[in-house]
Amino acid sequence: MNGFLWTFGHLGWGIFAVLVFSGLWLLLSDLCWRLLAICIGRLLALLAIGWMLGIGCIVFGFYMAG
Amino acid sequence: MVLLIIQLAIIVIVMVLIVLWGFYFPYPSPLVRRWLSPRKRWPEKQIRTWLKDGRFQRAFLNHFYSDPERMAPPGNSILAPADGLVTSADIRGGVRYLVIGLSFWDMHVQRSPASGRVLSVQSHGGDFMDGEGREFAFLREKSCPVHKRVVVATDDGQVAVRLITSLAARRIETWVREGDEIDRGQRIGRILLGSTVVLELPATTNLLVRMGDRVWAGETAVAESLTSP
Repeated sequence: MNGFLWTFGHLGWGIFAVLVFSGLWLLLSDLCWRLLAICIGRLLALLAIGWMLGIGCIVFGFYMAG
Repeated sequence: MVLLIIQLAIIVIVMVLIVLWGFYFPYPSPLVRRWLSPRKRWPEKQIRTWLKDGRFQRAFLNHFYSDPERMAPPGNSILAPADGLVTSADIRGGVRYLVIGLSFWDMHVQRSPASGRVLSVQSHGGDFMDGEGREFAFLREKSCPVHKRVVVATDDGQVAVRLITSLAARRIETWVREGDEIDRGQRIGRILLGSTVVLELPATTNLLVRMGDRVWAGETAVAESLTSP
């Protein structure tokens, strides 16, 4: 995790991206829940999968860039 | 150092958004309201809590008191006096009662169904349960409706509009007086937090709407003109 959490006097871009993405994903999930007429279990599953894919992309991108 | 400050600022902004979301949950936060329909923007449960507290969101009140212009269709058809859903069209005693149920999100200004002269503006109900209230309890299972009845004499007959609200709300404004000449689709009043408007027509009038239809005040033709065979 070298550089993921902290690098050169500022937060690591990895943890920064994870925090911002997770926060915005939560707000987006709320909007989807209100706008879409969909079973809540199915929506939660889709959002969880989306969140994991997003985090996976961030981690993968971080290590590829590194 | 600058990068760290920028990062922290962005994270703080996201955190503020989340706190705002959590503060309003389960109701929509101000951030997402604009993308929601009025019914989802201000859920009924939330409105009922405001009714108890007597405090309302300003945006909701702006929506509630909205009074858009309406364009009456050509012809002499009878227009809907209110926005809402047609909930019944029973005939009792030779009169057809076309009942329109309003929701919290409907526009609450009522309009004249036809042009003519206002014969009377009668008030019923109030602090006590009177005979009229009991008689019209069938309309929406209300034990004590408070209402005003505006009777309009047209060239071809007489129609009446009842503006009904609950004893709890008990606020009806009428903007026409006995003897006034009014146009088809003209504003005649407003029910504050009201729920039902009834159009009284001769039983022989041909309706153009059915139960469950959505109608708009001053725009939707609900019946053929009184002269139609």
